[in-house]
Amino acid sequence: MKEKLLSEKFYQAMKSKEPRYPNRKALILPALHQAQAEYGWLPKEILAEVAEYIGVHEAQIREVASFYTMYNLKPVGKMHLKICTNVACCLRGADELMEYAEKKLGVKCGETTPDGMFTLSEEECLGACTTAPVMMANDDYVENLDIQSLNHFLEKVKHEH
Amino acid sequence: MPKCTIDGKEVDFKAGENLVTVAKRAGIEIPVFCYHPGLSVVAQCRMCYVEVEKMPKLQTACSTQAAEGMVVKTQSEAVKKGRAGTMEFLLLNHPLDCPICDKAGECDLQDNSFGHGSEFMRHSEERRTYVDVDMGPVIQKNMNRCIHCTRCIRFGEEVAGIHEMVAIKRGNNIDITTIDGKQLKTEYAGNYSDICPTGSLTLKDFRFRKRAWMLKKTPTVCEGCSKGCNMEVQHEGNVVYRCVPRENLEINKYWMCDEGRFNYQYAQDPSRIVDPMRKAGESWLVTRWDELLTALRNDSGGEDVLFLVGTDLTLEEMKSVQEAARIWAPRAAIRSFGTPGVESSAQDGPKDGILKMKSKTSNLKGAETLGIPPLLGAAKSTVVVVFRGGRAELPRIEAKKAYGVGVFLEKERNSVHAILPGLSFLEKDGTILNHQGTSQTLKRALLPRGKSKALGEILMLVLNQKSSEVNP
Repeated sequence: MKEKLLSEKFYQAMKSKEPRYPNRKALILPALHQAQAEYGWLPKEILAEVAEYIGVHEAQIREVASFYTMYNLKPVGKMHLKICTNVACCLRGADELMEYAEKKLGVKCGETTPDGMFTLSEEECLGACTTAPVMMANDDYVENLDIQSLNHFLEKVKHEH
Repeated sequence: MPKCTIDGKEVDFKAGENLVTVAKRAGIEIPVFCYHPGLSVVAQCRMCYVEVEKMPKLQTACSTQAAEGMVVKTQSEAVKKGRAGTMEFLLLNHPLDCPICDKAGECDLQDNSFGHGSEFMRHSEERRTYVDVDMGPVIQKNMNRCIHCTRCIRFGEEVAGIHEMVAIKRGNNIDITTIDGKQLKTEYAGNYSDICPTGSLTLKDFRFRKRAWMLKKTPTVCEGCSKGCNMEVQHEGNVVYRCVPRENLEINKYWMCDEGRFNYQYAQDPSRIVDPMRKAGESWLVTRWDELLTALRNDSGGEDVLFLVGTDLTLEEMKSVQEAARIWAPRAAIRSFGTPGVESSAQDGPKDGILKMKSKTSNLKGAETLGIPPLLGAAKSTVVVVFRGGRAELPRIEAKKAYGVGVFLEKERNSVHAILPGLSFLEKDGTILNHQGTSQTLKRALLPRGKSKALGEILMLVLNQKSSEVNP
């Protein structure tokens, strides 16, 4: 038996969630969320451990984890910016925002700034189309964005940290 | 039996059958990509649209089970439009390189595009491209051509019992690959190429060697083990280019292993001996048929003669050896040989739980049926005559004089002192019994190579007093 990377807390949290799901496979998403909350991102070893916990092949966990954009398969910075680029946001200028953010932070979409502060990524629909364009900054929504407010937001974050 | 109506035809069906199967029985072809009768149904390619009366939308035929009184239309305007739409989506990223694609001519995507798609393309965006991983010695991957039917993933998981292919990411960025880009491990990898509906997974051994439509196809049986998988030999100009499995639901279903798939190669190995040869000192000399035939007859008439019959021969060949021996070598003992350690069908059994059997020869059961006892240990006798199809593993031979009749490669010839070249399983007709006792037929695909002769002919010539007149 390999040494477990995930803490006892993870297994306890999952134990309490188990009764709420109809079968083991339905637990994949919450388990990945829980693991990511604990570890920050999902390295292969963690995925393998989740697979072992769920009782499915590692490949299935890989497929699920790479399908959803909210699972980080690479380490992320302190502030993870996820700009929605789906239809509503796109029509309201999300592409320009992305371009601006890339220029401002000096990284490409999907990359982390060298100081480990910002990670910029593209997100699928965040379900806030009424306030498009939208971005998630860690767990918070930043809505009704434009280049000015994005700039303001980035400056504020830089200043605070 | 319950009945449903497809395109105005009344069709019987068994409960649980899907519309693709039922329609096929009625002679109506429904185009599919992701559906494969040997794999689970996922209904994700959306190509098999049909219209079912009283259902509001088009249904996927693969995931719709036939029901009593169901009225299905496969050629209505709505269906045609739906399929054309699906085709257009599938081709969004598919390169238009059929002329240089190895799959062309046997490609589901090409056929269905021709049959159900549009001649024109409306989009002009750039297509996505991938850098491909090396999938190992059997399969060449070209992800640009993939339409994500996931047949390969399901094959690995459900048939080969190994979850090595994965679909990572999603949408336009999806990548069908192996875990961490590892090479394929399964010994059934060739099937990935068979079931791939596009030129995305092709056989390294076959690609760019022959166009699919130039191949002649001979239905035969694999001689790789006692399973007796049904296969098709595809050849042209007396050269085999590949072997593919043939459907037989009782034996191999739709699959075959790589060992059987590439087994044909020994038969066209340049080092295969196709001239009558004898050993002179340390070297080998090509000689005349009549010389060896006479020598074989003279040597094998005496006492202490051992006839070894490979369990890779057909029933007909084994029987002829028995009958011929009765006349010109009545005192010869006849023993069978094949796979060391698997001398009888009681010792045979599944090797990996998928298809492979422990016995590496096809006709072990046949030798038992004819009452040929197995050879145990080494072959010790004054004269030993080995009759061999090419696959049976040669035992240690301790003899003053040893003849080999059949297929031998240069590296195998030093077990004997003279070789009378015979036919491999590709060059002969015959019957073999698989491990279940099912009798199956080998079909001749190629003409004999060089001066090799059928075993029946060799035996007849030995019997013939005038063998000195045989044309060399």
